[in-house]
Amino acid sequence: MSKITKESLENIAKQPKKEENNWIKVGMSSCGIAAGADEVFRVLTEEVKKRNIPVAVKKCGCVGMCSVEPLVEVNVDGMPQVTYGRVNGEVAIQIIEEHIHNHRLVNDHIYDIQVKK
Amino acid sequence: MDKKIIYIKDTSFALDRTKDVHAILLNGLRDRGMQDSVQAVRVADIGAYNQGVVVKVLPDTTYYGVKDEDLGRILDAVKQGTVVKELAARKEPRQLRIVLRNCGVIDPESIEEYMANEGYQAIKKVLFDLKTQDNTIDEMKKSGLRGRGGAGYPTWMKWNFAKKMASDQKYVICNGDEGDPGAYMDRSVLEGDPHSVVEGMMIAGFSVGASVGYFYIRAEYPLAVERIQKAIDQCYANGLLGKNILGSDFNFDLEIRLGAGAFVCGEETALIASIEGKRGAPHPRPPYPSVKGLWDKPTVINNVETLANVAYIINRGGDAFAKVGTQTSKGTKVFALTGKVKNSGLVEVPMGTTIREIVFDIGGGVYKNKNIKAVQTGGPSGGVIPKDFLDTPVDYENLQKLGSIMGSGGMIVMDEDDCMVDIARFYQRFCFDESCGKCSPCRIGTAQMLGFLSKIAEGRGEIGDLDNLRRIAQSMQRAALCGLGQTAPNPVISTLRYYEDEYRVHILDKKCPSKKCRDLLSYKIIPEKCKKCGLCFMNCEAKAITGNKDDGYIIDMNKCVRCGRCFEVCKFKAVGKE
Repeated sequence: MSKITKESLENIAKQPKKEENNWIKVGMSSCGIAAGADEVFRVLTEEVKKRNIPVAVKKCGCVGMCSVEPLVEVNVDGMPQVTYGRVNGEVAIQIIEEHIHNHRLVNDHIYDIQVKK
Repeated sequence: MDKKIIYIKDTSFALDRTKDVHAILLNGLRDRGMQDSVQAVRVADIGAYNQGVVVKVLPDTTYYGVKDEDLGRILDAVKQGTVVKELAARKEPRQLRIVLRNCGVIDPESIEEYMANEGYQAIKKVLFDLKTQDNTIDEMKKSGLRGRGGAGYPTWMKWNFAKKMASDQKYVICNGDEGDPGAYMDRSVLEGDPHSVVEGMMIAGFSVGASVGYFYIRAEYPLAVERIQKAIDQCYANGLLGKNILGSDFNFDLEIRLGAGAFVCGEETALIASIEGKRGAPHPRPPYPSVKGLWDKPTVINNVETLANVAYIINRGGDAFAKVGTQTSKGTKVFALTGKVKNSGLVEVPMGTTIREIVFDIGGGVYKNKNIKAVQTGGPSGGVIPKDFLDTPVDYENLQKLGSIMGSGGMIVMDEDDCMVDIARFYQRFCFDESCGKCSPCRIGTAQMLGFLSKIAEGRGEIGDLDNLRRIAQSMQRAALCGLGQTAPNPVISTLRYYEDEYRVHILDKKCPSKKCRDLLSYKIIPEKCKKCGLCFMNCEAKAITGNKDDGYIIDMNKCVRCGRCFEVCKFKAVGKE
């Protein structure tokens, strides 16, 4: 990667912030990992690859809801942005099948919803 | 067309009827032929507590306390695309995220994602728009940012002192030695948004004229260390650290130093000694580190959370930052909400939010719906805030008036089962363990206070002990060398201030009102309730229970070790504890 200069930073600032869709984020701070986020991350990446779904699985830090880790945030086209909590391997597969494939939300694990503008 | 979504959750404390309401809604949807266009979903948390059944219709309609008979009207409104006005409630966001702005949003190991979220714009602004050290410090002055590590010293003043010193070499240090029991805000920031702290360090370095910075992070945070190291490496690879940053004449290097986990090393002079490779013990101030710090050079030490605020302040301007918060305390504060609270976790609220809002509206109230007794802030240096003061707006001055401190931001909720003598003893033991032993007020004081507290908790207390505790506490506050010793008596002083009755019951009646202090408990089998099942007998490891299935059982308190096992296993509540 090339060096960052004053100009390249200005270019980034000028660009309109593009809202990326179609991602899954797994909270991978100490709190999440302690609750089993590693396993969830592994299941999600494997399933996404196996089913050939055009969704990026990413890592992120702690959003603050440490009591309900592991947290998985899902953002796909045509659906609000949803944070699932207390996710395990099973729920992760449900998220892939129901939320991402069938566009139906998974009961009992939603902790936060954000409506996209 | 996007599907419409209805969220439901029963938030009443008693019976959870979420599933029933969900079934009613599903039926209602089918009756109206909307099952394909609308999904009703049960959620685990809806952001409201003790409001009955909460129904939320996306995008922005919320109904609190919904009765079953109202559900039909709500569904009709959804079908027509209208709102049932008399039921709808207005909801305001209570949390405000400045420090945690990127935590959980970006990938902490990716510099590209940080840069796509205003990353490193602040250092560019400092180098090319504000240009001078004075302008940058002026911006910090306007913001009114105060140190988030505990004492609340204005950040700009610290920077200004160090800036004014003439020296060939100056240093900035990030204090990531977070040691309060129950506090982990700094760890989350370091793990979730390492680049923002790195950028804060760069700006601090530029403002005071330092060319080297150190991260002092405790070795117990391996993931934080790994991510900060990755962030530093990425910065070097991209020319954001090193010589001539962004083509300017500003040079800055960053390194990590690991702390071995001694609590006292969070104190700035001890921290400096630890970085220098000496034993982590404090020395008297003045001279302050901003005059004579690391290797006798002027040094600025800031807390992780303070530094995480810096880039935001520079980007948005000090004035914009100062609009948030109270008269004397600006901006937001991150609290690690733990203890007996439903939703433990990190909370970032504007200064001036009341403790009640934090614990009940955001935290969801007390675990198992018990009654709140007090809130402890500031860890071993802070104090307890009784439930009568829950409506106090949180800022540095108000907490100090109540006998506690902001501290680094631990907030531990205590319910009626928590014994204040026990709490004071816990913190005193912590300080006793962590005291470095350099000055006698702290070394002897913590040991003596712990002795008195143990005596009281074990039922050997005398009424004169309370005065002794107060006397030792006062002399420690006045005579101890560093912050650890000066603040170590705080938990004792504040529990004595608000809960002296509880101490007196321990001493005079030899009883623990919260049934927590083990040595003051006695167990007894209540014959009227006892079904003579023998479960307590079988579970008693100390063989203190005698008897048989015909005659019943009795507990011999001389043999009993008060483990509480019989109390736990009895299905008929026939074991009395008092």
